[in-house]
Amino acid sequence: MNNNFETVIGLEVHAELNTKTKIFCSCENRFGAEVNSLCCPVCMGYPGTLPVLNQQVVESAVKMGHALNCTINGVTKQDRKNYFYPDLPKAYQISQFDVPLCENGYLDILVGDETKRIGVTRIHIEEDAGKLIHDDSFDGTLCDYNRCGVPLIEIVSEPDLRSAEEAKAYLETITTILLYLGISDAKMQEGSVRCDVNVSVRPHGATEFGTRCEMKNVNSFGAVYRAILYEAERQMEVIAAGGTIRQETRRWDDAKNKSILMRSKEDAQDYRYFPDPDLLTFIVSDEKISALKASLPELPTEKTLRYVKDYNMQKVDAQLLSVSKARADFFDSAVELGGCEPKTVANWLLGDIARILNDRRIELSDTALTPQHLVEMIQMIDKGTISNTAAKTVLEEMMATDKAPQQIVEEKGLAQINDSSALVAIVEKVLADNPKAVEDYKSGKTNVAGFLVGQCMKASRGQGNPATLRDMVLAAIEKL
Amino acid sequence: MKKLYEHSATELAAMLRAKEVSAVEITKATLGRMEEVESKVDAFLTVTAEQALQQAQQVDETIAAGKPLAPLAGIPVAIKDNICTKGVRSTCASRMLENFVPHYNATVMEKLAAQGAVLPGKLNMDEFAMGGSCENSYFKPTKNPWDTTRVPGGSSGGSAASVASCEVPLALGSDTGGSIRCPASFCGIVGLKPTYGAVSRYGLVAFASSLDQIGPFGRTVDDVALLYRAICGRDPKDATSREAALGEIEAKVKGLRLGVPKEYFGDGISAEVKTAVYGAIETLKGLGADVVEISLPSTDYALAAYYIISSAEASSNLARYDGVKYGFSGRRDGTLNDLYLSTRSEGFGAEVKRRIMLGTHVLSSGYYDAYYKRAKLLQNVIAKEFTDAFASCDLIVTPVNPTTAFKLGEKVSDPVQMYATDICTVTVNIAGLPGLSLPCGMGEGGLPIGMQLIGPKFSEARLLSVAKSYETAVGGFAVKEM
Amino acid sequence: MEIDVKHIAKLAKLDIPEAELGKMEKELSSIVAMVEKLPELTSKESLLDPQNTMQLRPDEVKPSFPREEMLKNVPETAAGCLMVPKVVE
Ligand SMILES: [Mg+2]
Ligand SMILES: [Zn+2]
Repeated sequence: MNNNFETVIGLEVHAELNTKTKIFCSCENRFGAEVNSLCCPVCMGYPGTLPVLNQQVVESAVKMGHALNCTINGVTKQDRKNYFYPDLPKAYQISQFDVPLCENGYLDILVGDETKRIGVTRIHIEEDAGKLIHDDSFDGTLCDYNRCGVPLIEIVSEPDLRSAEEAKAYLETITTILLYLGISDAKMQEGSVRCDVNVSVRPHGATEFGTRCEMKNVNSFGAVYRAILYEAERQMEVIAAGGTIRQETRRWDDAKNKSILMRSKEDAQDYRYFPDPDLLTFIVSDEKISALKASLPELPTEKTLRYVKDYNMQKVDAQLLSVSKARADFFDSAVELGGCEPKTVANWLLGDIARILNDRRIELSDTALTPQHLVEMIQMIDKGTISNTAAKTVLEEMMATDKAPQQIVEEKGLAQINDSSALVAIVEKVLADNPKAVEDYKSGKTNVAGFLVGQCMKASRGQGNPATLRDMVLAAIEKL
Repeated sequence: MKKLYEHSATELAAMLRAKEVSAVEITKATLGRMEEVESKVDAFLTVTAEQALQQAQQVDETIAAGKPLAPLAGIPVAIKDNICTKGVRSTCASRMLENFVPHYNATVMEKLAAQGAVLPGKLNMDEFAMGGSCENSYFKPTKNPWDTTRVPGGSSGGSAASVASCEVPLALGSDTGGSIRCPASFCGIVGLKPTYGAVSRYGLVAFASSLDQIGPFGRTVDDVALLYRAICGRDPKDATSREAALGEIEAKVKGLRLGVPKEYFGDGISAEVKTAVYGAIETLKGLGADVVEISLPSTDYALAAYYIISSAEASSNLARYDGVKYGFSGRRDGTLNDLYLSTRSEGFGAEVKRRIMLGTHVLSSGYYDAYYKRAKLLQNVIAKEFTDAFASCDLIVTPVNPTTAFKLGEKVSDPVQMYATDICTVTVNIAGLPGLSLPCGMGEGGLPIGMQLIGPKFSEARLLSVAKSYETAVGGFAVKEM
Repeated sequence: MEIDVKHIAKLAKLDIPEAELGKMEKELSSIVAMVEKLPELTSKESLLDPQNTMQLRPDEVKPSFPREEMLKNVPETAAGCLMVPKVVE
């Protein structure tokens, strides 16, 4: 990477809203249905049919506008964007042109330990296009119109992002917020969040922007990262070779890890925007706008900062917690129950629980674990009723069944043995079985004590109190 | 004695209730008359005789069962072919939709069906409602029943001709810049262009969405009121539709202030049309109306604003005809672009292409502000002039067409001259007002002349009541021997 | 007033034969000439009409149309889809 250049990035994020119905007709809004089974004359653009705007689309978009600190335009309209393509049955997309529902906002993102503010130019509502299926077994391209009319919000950022890392963090934060608001499934792999990336480069210290290229079809967090690295590098090479960057639209091919020219500026489309005469001006009242604002949940960045401040957490941990709404909600409920250290709860969530979920590729909600049970388990550890080792067994069980930790401990006989008299036999046997280790210890290699304590823990099936065992092991060696 | 097909819809409805006639007899009379004169007027594109008789049969069963009848039950209502009829092809008189059979009904069709109205067939028009003579049909030109060498007016020429020739008592048309009022005037019948939003546009194949309205044709004012009453009102499927209703119509003129705008009686209007309309104004004065002279200075610009707005919207509305989903499909052995180009170039007629080109031009990059936006701003000016005018009058009276019906083929070669015939009607669409065309005399060669009544938004009742007074005073529609 | 008829035809996806370009340009020009007479009206404002607004629709599902019905008018279909000449991305 050429260090004399700075990369300037702006993102246009399209997110499908998870409303019950499409934006302009009452067809169900659902992913994965049989081709062309969720269509009607309206979303297929049949002659004479008319669009009627879905109230919920407007409300969801206004929520997103609030979450991204936008001004909400309570008096707005819809415009037509005209172009021919077989995925667009009316040959125009109903979108918003000069009066977006939301504009002039910003989003604070965390990159490493730094907070960075990214400008949000606008958020507007529009309809999705259908899906083209390219399959060599047919002598044409197939069109599935199930996705026609699925509501989208398009979130346009200012060119405030300066690295692939920042762009990735921005996109992750956007998808997290969508999930927090519950307005989108935000699954990039299903295409419910899609991204166009604008990239330019300029010498460090320059005040003018370089000529930008737009990359379409950048459809995963990783692809965004790779596409930006590739495109910035490509542009710097062109400049380094004495060339100039031409404004163009390129398509990102993630499999081949390169961008391909789609069209140059000269072929730029003339969309002939004008207000859609089938849809009048619409008003979102000030009361409605305020009510939607009041309905917003605490958002991930706020949460992160609160965790750091209130619970003295590391920023990176706090962020790991809040980046998943399910995890943060779980954490908040557990902390609210009280009776244990928030940090301990966080450690379990980010440690063992995260590891198990990750190994099994499941979500927290796929398990039987409840905040109540986790807190009870931590309390049992704190009281010395179970050891940390035994707790791991308890946790596995709590994730599999809805049994309380108390019951699991009883059923499995996992209660910690604090009474040293019950442990004497174990210690004696371990020492007897490991004469070499005892020898080593005596000759000054005191770190074998840990090994011996571990053997004792194993022999007690995790029920021994490790601190007690350690004392006992040391005392017993002394006596030998 | 009056023939059955000569009766008005209002009379037929009364006869049906008095059991003087059955619904099947009415429909048979309609189909018989169609057989008799259709070859001369060419008003229909599709005849649905079988379906019509079935619908009539059902009405007769309702009567036999002693069940209550809706006002339009058993009355034949023919439909302009740009209104979608489930299971019946709806062509817009275009090659593009020659074989298009919708699987959904326009809201007006749902309303008519709910009343038990009978659908005898679909009517000819200018292709996609673009034109003022009905000569732009892909299939055939319709002829004026008063002189079959002349045009019936357009674009709802089939609607006007079918009613004027007594093929049907009632018909629906659509009006974007005069397409109901112009043919009603040329054919000597009554036509109402309702307030924008008063009738649902759902299922009306769009020409210019912000100007299009569906409206009724009849030979009497009462008939037009009857049909308007059945179709008006807000429709959840049309976001631009509004609450609207119509009560009983009373003939009433006394004390009403009639505004006469001088701009509508200029040089472009023929002497015989002026004479007839001024004569009608005198008649209304005699019935107790007051006449005030008013001015609508922006009228001159209305035509240009109309052609910009309507063509712009049309260029977008008609982009969907691309050979992929329905209708005519061009060559499929080439690229996608070949399919688009061949479909649209072969599927659309010359006038439609001209408007699409104009509309595309006025919306294209660099021209939007100078053309489309300017026209929209002018639209506000024109609307405000009307609002101001209605402070000093209750109704406005103007001519409908500058002349009586012209000869077939007379104006086809000059689009601008053809467009000029809309001069008196387009302002009403631009301002979203109701306008009614009412026969007010005969010109040279026995050709009908119409006058236009314009009222404030949702003043249909007022328009109809003044029209009814006039009709009562001068005598109603006289059937033309064909 | 010069109108780039070829460019407009390309945008509108219409094939205007070379021989007709001149005629089309003349016709469009004469219509556009009417527009040139319009008074100069400009506004920085967007074309909003707060006096005349629309109601929005509740988010309630209604059944879609059966696929066979939706595809009845489609000129060419395959595998439950509409088919167009191959599109290269
Ligand atoms: Mg977009
Ligand atoms: Zn639909």
